[in-house]
This record gives sequence, structure tokens and C-alpha cells, in this order.
Amino acid sequence: MSRIRKEGKVEFRFEHPDEFREFVRESKSRKPTDKLCAASDAVSRLVKDGDYIVYDFSSLTRGPQALIREVIRQKRKDLWIGAEFTLHESALLVGAGCASRIDVGFLGYGNYIGQAVCDGRVKVYEWTNGGLALRILAGARGVPFLPTRDLLGSDNLAVSAAKVFEDPYTGMPVCLVPALNPDVAFIHVHQADVYGDARIFGTNLFALEAAMASHRVIVSAEEIVAPDEFRKDPMRTTIPYFLVDAVVHAPFGAYPGAMPARYEIDLEHVDRLNAIRSEEQMRNYLHENVYGVADHEEFLDKRVGAARMKELRSRATIIEGYR
Amino acid sequence: MARTVEFTDTEFMIAQGARLLEDGKTFFVGWGIPQIVAILAQKLYVPNVVQLFEFGAVGPQSVLPFVRGTMGGPQNTYRSLQWLNMNWAFSYSASGYMDYGMLGALQVDPYGNINSTYLGGTFEKPERRFAGSGGGNQVASHCWRTVIIIKHEGRRFVPKVEFVTSPGYLTGPGAREKAGLPKNTGPYRVVTSKALFGFDESTREMTLLSVLRGLSPEDVIADMAFRPIVPKEVGEIHPPTADELRLLREEIDPSRIIIRGEMMSASA
Repeated sequence: MSRIRKEGKVEFRFEHPDEFREFVRESKSRKPTDKLCAASDAVSRLVKDGDYIVYDFSSLTRGPQALIREVIRQKRKDLWIGAEFTLHESALLVGAGCASRIDVGFLGYGNYIGQAVCDGRVKVYEWTNGGLALRILAGARGVPFLPTRDLLGSDNLAVSAAKVFEDPYTGMPVCLVPALNPDVAFIHVHQADVYGDARIFGTNLFALEAAMASHRVIVSAEEIVAPDEFRKDPMRTTIPYFLVDAVVHAPFGAYPGAMPARYEIDLEHVDRLNAIRSEEQMRNYLHENVYGVADHEEFLDKRVGAARMKELRSRATIIEGYR
Repeated sequence: MARTVEFTDTEFMIAQGARLLEDGKTFFVGWGIPQIVAILAQKLYVPNVVQLFEFGAVGPQSVLPFVRGTMGGPQNTYRSLQWLNMNWAFSYSASGYMDYGMLGALQVDPYGNINSTYLGGTFEKPERRFAGSGGGNQVASHCWRTVIIIKHEGRRFVPKVEFVTSPGYLTGPGAREKAGLPKNTGPYRVVTSKALFGFDESTREMTLLSVLRGLSPEDVIADMAFRPIVPKEVGEIHPPTADELRLLREEIDPSRIIIRGEMMSASA
């Protein structure tokens, strides 16, 4: 007897919790090894065509922009992105032909991505921010789903794969969202050590949940610190090393977004991204800022420049609370 | 002789929104206009309001002036009580701790259902695609009272929204509870650039409460694609006060990032 009252029927990423547990048992090393590597190396080893990718936080704040640009540079195809706040990543990944499906979230502003959806160049599914965060939490908790009292009554439900079920405790309809175990999580952090222990200062979306729920985790860090720093102050550890597969040292890795207490957002560059409408503008942007430079370091050196970086750092005047 | 005050439609909506909040209550803040409403309200009317952002800032006291592109950055998470993440932020609303939520909308219908996803065509092949829910669905589902802020234009007030992104009273009385949404929640007010609406206790339909000084109920209804309930007594809304405008223009948003809009006027 089915107690399903309503369900969305779109495709969704799902993995049996026991399969994920087996993967964690067999493939996630618990040894503290030196995982420091170049972004190009991390992406070429750990990101494959067709992968499902999540990231923390957003285009404007502490997003893993250096890693996103590297994915584009390496021309991954058919990616599926779980995008809570996707303002520019989705536009760039779709514009570069890297992504074909997006679970949102908030499908950011700018004309390019909206038009790409209207033209049918990318499929979008509506899980909402709370729904995606809960799916990732379910993935981290090793359960097949988690219940929630939203999505109910809305049309998002039909364009997700959530189900409305009769709650055995109250008899009320309750919404179930399936666990999400992404292939890859990109998390940009303030500090990491070479093993992958990582610290974020400030708020986050689901950094720990995503690291725990994902098959492969790439941490990019503004600063590499000594492993003993984490032992001295364990309250401040966001992610422990054994969840992490690669550590990339990427100062200004959130650029053109802001890194709280380190540097401010580059609004001029963001405006250039927001202004992209046509394929030609997209090609020009990608050529100049991604394909036309060898790596993040060359991008910073040739496209951003030391003076600009200095100015963005000097504008990050609020440091209270970030330590 | 009556003095005339000039203001933008956005400034008027922000001022109205700020006057609605109660001191000592909690307020789930959406991105954009609601951020400015929260700041103005906290400065002027409700010093003890507790702001909450979906990215995990609990009780911040935003830095002025407002900075474009800040979302989870130091400016709008400044001097918070607590920094968390999204699953915890929505736990505060789901467990009943959030009194007010405020959301913008592309379209709204008589039951306060919100569309912010697409206009025209179908979901799969829309004519125009917008940002969609973000956390709006959770805010409208969980908060005790949801306030909708929307520019007063006929194409935005429709008999039925094309897509229910965030739930209002759905199809009428009892529909939210039947769908499984938390009891006694729902849209509370609709703030527009001309008027303020509530929802009828028995039918759950949008009801005109008051109009901007100088406008008549007919002026307001003429700009809507459905007819709201119009009671015999309709109140008058004071245009933005000198204090509200000074704070908005000089301290909160001197670059006019949010407060810009079409100019309006009313007698002060």
C-alpha cells in the first residue's frame, strides 16, 4: 500500500546509502598524507565528465572560483551542478559547454543563464535552497531521505523528485527529499593544512555536510598553515583532513567574489560577468580570463594585477569575528 | 498649505515594510529590498528585531552604508549573535522561531501565492526565466507571517500565478494545512508601491487595507488583474517621512543601489 500522495518525476542523482558507505570504506584514505597539489592536477585527477558537483559558498562570497575556472579550462562535459547560489558559475559552465543540468537553488541574475534555460540549452530542476541543503545533509547522515515541511503545496515539487508522504507519526502529509551524494565538492576556505584539515571563518552553506556526502573533495585555500594549528584550536576546524582528497593553495581563489576579512568583491569584474548576453561576449570573456591564461596564478598576474589585489585587500576592513 | 514630498516607489515600499515589523520579534530577511527594510526598521522603529539570513547569520547588525553584492560577507553578517549554516538557519524557521519573513515576487495572486520562477511558456520552455525560489519557499512555508513586497503593476497581480514558487494560501481556507504546511502560517501583508493589503480571515483572499495618501481605492484596483476585497473603510498610508528618507538616502543606501525607482509624490 503506497502512502505516496504526490511526487515529482524528474531525473535526480541518487545513490543507495550502503553503496556510498562502501565507497567511503574502500576509497577514502584515513591516512594523513600530503595532498597539496596544483588546481590543474586536482581537477584532472578528481573531476570527470558527467560528474555531479556542489560547492560552497556563492559567486559573491567565498566561492571556489579558481577551481570553477580550472574545470572550464580542462573542458569537462555534461556536468550536473547542485547550485544553491549560482550567480556566475552556472552561466560560465553552461556558456563553456561544461554543464548540462542544474539543480537549484537560486538561478542567479544576469541575462545569459536565463536565456540558456529558455533556449533549452540546460535543464533546470527546482529543489529550492532549503531542499538542496537538506538533500546534502541526508547524504552526510547516510539515510536515503529526510523529511521537511516545505516544498509542500508549491509547484517546485513537480519539477523535483521530492515525494509527499503520509507521516506515520502524525498522519500529516510531509515532504521527503532524497539524499544527495555528489561526485565532487569544491570548498574554498581561509586556511588548510597539506593533509586537508580546513577552516572557514564566517558562515557557510553546507561545507561540512557537502564534504562528508561527496565522493571526492577538493579544498582550495587562501593560506596553508601547519597541521598543529588545528590541534591547538579544534573548535575552529570546519572540515577534518580525512574527508578531503586534494588541497590547492589558491590565494584570491574566490576572485572576483569576496573572501570575508581577506579581500573584498571586485564589482567591476562582476559587472562584466553580469553584462554577458551573447555567445560572442561569453566566448570573449572565457578566452580572456580562462582559456587565454595557463592557470590561476597567471590569471591573477595578467588579468587582475598586483595593484588591484592590493586595493581589494585594503577594502576588507571588517575583521571582527574572523579568526 | 500642504507640503509635497517626493520619493521613489522603492523607498515607499521600504518605508511601509519597516513600519510593519514589531520590536522584539524575529525577521527572516530575503536578499535585496528586504535587507534594506530590516536595516531601516532596526535603526528607526524596532531596535531589538532579530534578523536571520538563510546563509546562517543570526542577529546581525548590518554595516552602513549598504554594499552591493554582499551576501554572507562581513557587511551583512556584522556583529551577529551566531554564525551557522543553511540547515541550521532553516531549522530556526521550521521550529517556529521566525515571526516575520519578507519576500519579493514577480507575480502574486489573490491567495498570496508567489511566482518568482518564470513568465510565459512552460516550466521546461519558458519565455522568461528568473531566479526561482532560492530560500523563498522555506521562508513562505515556515514563518508565522510572510510579508510580500511587490511593485504595483497590473501584470504582477494576476488571478492565478503561472508557477507557485512560494506558497500563499494556495487555493483558499485550509489548503495550506491540507498540503501539510505548518499550521497558522501564511502571507500576512502585501506591500506595494501604492497600497497595503492583508488577507481576509475567512476566505483568505487579498483585502485592501490602506492606500497611499492622495490615491483612491479605485486608483489602486485599476492597476490589478483581479479585484481584491475592498472593505468600506480603507486607511491612508503616510508617504515616507523625512526621517525615513534621510536615513535611506544619506546613511543606508547613498549609492542608490536598492532605493532607486520611479519618482512619486504625495502631500506630506
